[in-house]
Amino acid sequence: MNRPLDDDLEDLFESAPCGYLSATPDGRITKANRTLADWIGLDSRDLVGRRFPDLLNIAGKIYYETHFAPLLRMQGFFHEVALDLVRANGSPLPVLVNAVERRADSGEPLLVRITVFNATDRRRYERELLDARRAADSANGELRELNLTLEARIAQAVAERLKAEEALRQGQKMEAIGQLTGGVAHDFNNLLTVILGGLETIGRQIETLPASLTTQRMERSLRMAVHGAERAATLTARLLAFARRQPLDPKPVDAGRLVINLADLLQRTLGATIELQSVAGAGLWRTLADPGELENALINLAVNARDAMPGGGRLTIETSNAFLDDDYVRTIPEPVSPGQYVLIAVSDTGSGMPPEIVAQVFEPFFTTKETGKGTGLGLSQVYGFVRQSEGHVRLYSEVGEGTTVKIYLPKFVSNDDRQEPATSAPTAVPHGGDETILVVEDHDELRAYSTGVLRELGYRVFEASSGKNALEVLQRTPDLSLLFTDVVLPEGMNGRELADEVQRRRSGVKVLFTTGYTRNAIVHNGRLDAGVNLIGKPFSFRDLAAKVRDVLDS
Amino acid sequence: MTASRRHNATVRGEGARTMVFAHGFGCDQNMWRFVAPAFEADFRTVLFDHVGAGGSDVSAYDPDKYASLDGYADDVVELCRELGVRKGVYVGHSVSAMIGVLAAKRAPELFEKLVLVGPSPRYIDDGDYIGGFSEPQIHELLEFLDSNHMGWSEAMAPVIMGNPDRPELGEELTNSFCRTDPEIARRFARATFLSDNRADLADVPAEVLVLQCSDDVIAPQCVGEFVHRSLPGSRLVVMKATGHCPNLSAPDETIAAIRAFV
Repeated sequence: MNRPLDDDLEDLFESAPCGYLSATPDGRITKANRTLADWIGLDSRDLVGRRFPDLLNIAGKIYYETHFAPLLRMQGFFHEVALDLVRANGSPLPVLVNAVERRADSGEPLLVRITVFNATDRRRYERELLDARRAADSANGELRELNLTLEARIAQAVAERLKAEEALRQGQKMEAIGQLTGGVAHDFNNLLTVILGGLETIGRQIETLPASLTTQRMERSLRMAVHGAERAATLTARLLAFARRQPLDPKPVDAGRLVINLADLLQRTLGATIELQSVAGAGLWRTLADPGELENALINLAVNARDAMPGGGRLTIETSNAFLDDDYVRTIPEPVSPGQYVLIAVSDTGSGMPPEIVAQVFEPFFTTKETGKGTGLGLSQVYGFVRQSEGHVRLYSEVGEGTTVKIYLPKFVSNDDRQEPATSAPTAVPHGGDETILVVEDHDELRAYSTGVLRELGYRVFEASSGKNALEVLQRTPDLSLLFTDVVLPEGMNGRELADEVQRRRSGVKVLFTTGYTRNAIVHNGRLDAGVNLIGKPFSFRDLAAKVRDVLDS
Repeated sequence: MTASRRHNATVRGEGARTMVFAHGFGCDQNMWRFVAPAFEADFRTVLFDHVGAGGSDVSAYDPDKYASLDGYADDVVELCRELGVRKGVYVGHSVSAMIGVLAAKRAPELFEKLVLVGPSPRYIDDGDYIGGFSEPQIHELLEFLDSNHMGWSEAMAPVIMGNPDRPELGEELTNSFCRTDPEIARRFARATFLSDNRADLADVPAEVLVLQCSDDVIAPQCVGEFVHRSLPGSRLVVMKATGHCPNLSAPDETIAAIRAFV
């Protein structure tokens, strides 16, 4: 009867789903089952005589000796201790170990029974659990951090938003002022042309009279009137500049050289108490800009700087190459392309301005100067000119420290290495001709002035007030040499369309355009198309005479 | 907080002289439960837990202070001064053997005699010096500890992870014996097994007994002999007891050896 039971027990011991070990109280193995021997890859007989900690990896050995052996001795057992066995082939086997100490009645330890469970899967789950726990902790941490900083981040976002809105409002305001100013200035310009033209005619008539006290008085009054009108024309030009409606004649410009050439004039403007310093960067690129307007801009800045330094100081003009990157252009309200620019920085050591003043300085008629001392158009000209040149202007100022105005003008990129022309030639003595000219202008007084000038110069002159009207005149005028037309015309045909049509019908006819501003088909973004002849309003008798002769002879 | 409270100090026994028992890496003052009572008739006995073990104040744990054995030695000095120990006997097991050497050099008035049970001034082999472990082995141990998947920590994992549904998983080990904070145990292992206090064996101002077990994988016999050689005048007793904890596995032999020395 006993035999089968012993066999069963033997079978259960050897092939149980866990490892069994018996050991002496100091851990020396006396018996091991087949399951454990198979896991380890040894014969169970080879395990007998070894100490249990010898089956463990190094960390297991140390922990067994320092923690689990003492625990077993003191409390008589330990449960579910996670250890790694080392297989015969050197690979680890994660296990959970239970041990119990069998003692004699006297308390003397007799033997230790050790049960070993394969914990490969459980260890993996635990590791996944711990990883998930760590990930959750980390996510919680981030969330906490997010919550803690949320208020500050919202405040910052709102502040940025407000700043952006303020910048947008400022940009829109400048645009609106520009529209208004441009419209007024344009009409005013036409009137000035008539006034100046009339004055010139009067002047020529006076010359034909015998000299007397009366003619002298008339001439003096005439000079005063002309002077006043010219000053008004200058103002209008600045207004148009601000409104970005002045005709620009951009050329490749070496800004460094321009500054040097201008130094004398600037120093005279600044006076003796202000030192002028110019610093030109090496290898400076050329920029594409209207050199005359750039000079005007620098003079305007010098005047402002002088007024900011009543007790003397220093004005520094620096030129260098610069790069406006995407990040920077995103921060500014006006549309500016990122890329290469030529920087002209004008810095003074003057009184500086608080931020609320800085916000308004580019507005036309804004001035901090006493009534009568400034027009409030200086910085407006700078702003308009730079914007029209597709550049960017930035003003930095600190009260008590001074002001820096930075003008960024686009780098000139061209294979064509044209030299900038020398300063304009002295105006030629006007002479006329006998060619036939068709004057097209919707403004009656202006048309009358132009035709008067041209007739006085000896030309055969026909006139029209619209494009349609002009084409009718063309039918009756077989020997037309020159079409002199305003760019903006009523009744659906602008100056360019008229010119194209006239040239289509009569290929030899020359064309001269005139305009107060340039927001139109012929002049793209305020720039002259190559080869187009244009005379800006207001123009003088002398200007018109020279330009017409020039075009006819070309 | 007093050092006695911080270290969960247990003071018993009668006697003019004090015998201080210090536990090593793993477990707590329970390590001395079979040995200390034998000396209560002749000595005032002091048992305590290092910070992070047993009933110590875990909040006093400072990773910087306890990054080396010096922090533990400072604690021993502070505790013994608070308890008025003078010319006493210090019994240190395992890593606390070297902690005792450091404390004795710091405060020579405290101890007349040191009993070093399974001492090791350096666990890693170094040239001719045999510590019992190669450097890669110790790093394997430390990596295992850091992976949070070793022995104690592993078994404690459900508790660490705050699994309130299965408190029994933690309860099994958080019994009255050998309580230890897994995180601190990890750092204590680092401080212990990376220590090199061989130079501190010079000029120890006390009489020393080295108790060396047979077949100790943590502190092999050659290490005990090295300690004995480095301490002129010291006594070396090689015990019949095997393993690293004769205070548990062979308390009578341990008691006899200490008694013969004091």
